[in-house]
Amino acid sequence: MEGKQSWMDRLDKKRDEIGEKLAQKEVNLPIELITGILFLLIGIVVFAIMPSQVKVSDTDVVNGQAFPTLLMVVMMICSGIVLLKELYSIFVKKQPLTMKKINLLVEVKALEILAILILTYVICELTDLFVIGAVFCSLGFLVYFRCRKVSYYAITLTVAVLIWVAFRFGLGVNF
Amino acid sequence: MLEFIVPALQHLFTLENFLWINIGVFIGSVFAAIPGLSVILCVILFLPFTYRMTAIPGMMFLLGIYCAGGYGGSVSAILINTPGTPHAAATMMDGHPLSQKGRTKAALKIALYASTFGGVFSALMLLFLGPQVAQVAAQLGTAEYFMVCLFGLTIIAGVSGKSMIKGIIAACIGLLISCIGADPMTSYDRFTFGIPRLYLGLDLAICLIGLFALVEVLAKAEKKPGQLILDSKKMNDNGEITKDEFKRMIRPTVLSSIIGVLVGIIPGTGASEASWFSYDRAKAMSKHKEEFGHGSVEGIAAAESANNAVTGATLVPLLTMGIPGDGTVAIMLSALMINGLNPGLSLFTTQGDIMYAIMIGLVFVNLFMLLQGTFLTQLFAKVVSIPQEILTPVIVLFCFAGAYSVNKNYFDVGVALIFAVIAWMLRKLDMPPVPILLGMVLGNMTETNFRRALLISNGSPKIFVSSIYCIIFVVLTVLAVATLIRSKMKEAKGETKR
Repeated sequence: MEGKQSWMDRLDKKRDEIGEKLAQKEVNLPIELITGILFLLIGIVVFAIMPSQVKVSDTDVVNGQAFPTLLMVVMMICSGIVLLKELYSIFVKKQPLTMKKINLLVEVKALEILAILILTYVICELTDLFVIGAVFCSLGFLVYFRCRKVSYYAITLTVAVLIWVAFRFGLGVNF
Repeated sequence: MLEFIVPALQHLFTLENFLWINIGVFIGSVFAAIPGLSVILCVILFLPFTYRMTAIPGMMFLLGIYCAGGYGGSVSAILINTPGTPHAAATMMDGHPLSQKGRTKAALKIALYASTFGGVFSALMLLFLGPQVAQVAAQLGTAEYFMVCLFGLTIIAGVSGKSMIKGIIAACIGLLISCIGADPMTSYDRFTFGIPRLYLGLDLAICLIGLFALVEVLAKAEKKPGQLILDSKKMNDNGEITKDEFKRMIRPTVLSSIIGVLVGIIPGTGASEASWFSYDRAKAMSKHKEEFGHGSVEGIAAAESANNAVTGATLVPLLTMGIPGDGTVAIMLSALMINGLNPGLSLFTTQGDIMYAIMIGLVFVNLFMLLQGTFLTQLFAKVVSIPQEILTPVIVLFCFAGAYSVNKNYFDVGVALIFAVIAWMLRKLDMPPVPILLGMVLGNMTETNFRRALLISNGSPKIFVSSIYCIIFVVLTVLAVATLIRSKMKEAKGETKR
């Protein structure tokens, strides 16, 4: 346990060092501008791939492209409104862009969590044994939360195995 | 109606059903009591368990979670000034101040009684209104159905986030996702990119696990570490409610229950809108306005009865037209359809015994909620402080196991992860996820009716204003849009002034 603790201490110390630097760093995102441009682009991309992705027959009065086309038109109009509203407030009202502060520490933490999720998924798929992924996931989150209580490790691992047992033997999910 | 009551009661009164009701009520109360865990998340996580059940126990289990979630959210709102669910925020306004006055048990009791009244009232309304609305719904044609879907989507887009435009964009994304897979009318594949697994489309439950559950796990990155500690001394009062307080509770409880039903019946709206609206009404009508915000009995009763009165009402459009009243019941639609129960008039005629069993069962769900609330509130209160170190991996494992169990492959788990990342990015852009959910649920119905209507009219869009029902829904949609724009502008002005 002594060795494990010092290993965790070292890891936490490194995380603290990186965290301290990142906590101060904030990025301002012009979210309205991004929203308008992003969904306008998505609309254009969907329109571009529509002929290859949605097959239609010449005999159809209303074919399979009609509804997605309607949706994309509505979405692009809405994106245009978002964009125009923002441009109007910049150039006519002389107001600053609508910004949203994004803290880099939060994003890095989210990436850490995402890494745990992806690794759990990869382990489950490679081993084809959910319980191994479940144990990894539990340990991963306990380390992420800097947990030092042995009882928490015991409880979480037991619950992880119980979830597998419930799905495997209770619901007949073979994994 | 009466011919279905006896067989419905025979179907309902089984040990299995009552067991699942109680398990559902217990799980719903516990989940809703924990801040950060929502009722919708709970229903998503436990949906796979219902795939092996028949319709009645499956729905009883989910309805147990749904209704108890309405009450459970108030536990943490009263105890630690943090609403367990978003709709408990109005309860918190007076629940926590009353708790601080040393009357925690009394506040919890008021919330429980008001919730039960609202829930039972709503269940009875469903029982009597459901078949009548189904009769009207049976007269609707394809164009009318399209307009109803449009109305529901507009409302949800309007009320879900800060910006109505962003809500509409989100609804379009949801509708577009529903287009993935086989064309509902020609069976040609669409947006499958040559991936065979996409031919049957994306399963709703899998997408929702990513959109609503896994994204909450990613959101743990936003929260500062720290445990919510419950002071056990807080619950030492005798929980007595005086006769005068009971009298004062009656009017706001009844009125808020009516408001809850009316709000719930409108597709797309939900408990949060109902509880805040009722709270404001109760305050405006009270003789003791000065008590609001300082532990008013009327305030707690109004908010709680309204949010539980929504539960039965949201099922009215779901069961009669297949249009969910709110996000949570949208998920329940899968549990119904997997058992071959397709919403509409036939549900109340050919499968009336099952449908009435579910509707009568909803009354019992609320009664069991009262029973569990009376005896287990101390326990619900304790779960408020379950550490997130334990809770987070448990949620993830339920998500993964749930996603895998739908089609028994890891491809779906990957899809859930992709949806979690998309939801995370949309959150950064202040895009609400609920319109995406409604778009996905209503996608097939909206498209099929849109195309059928145009086929009937030889491509003429005039069909969408050709009947009185169409015109009513066009007017309602326009009115809703105008009201929503007006209220958003007022909100924006208020924020600028501040």
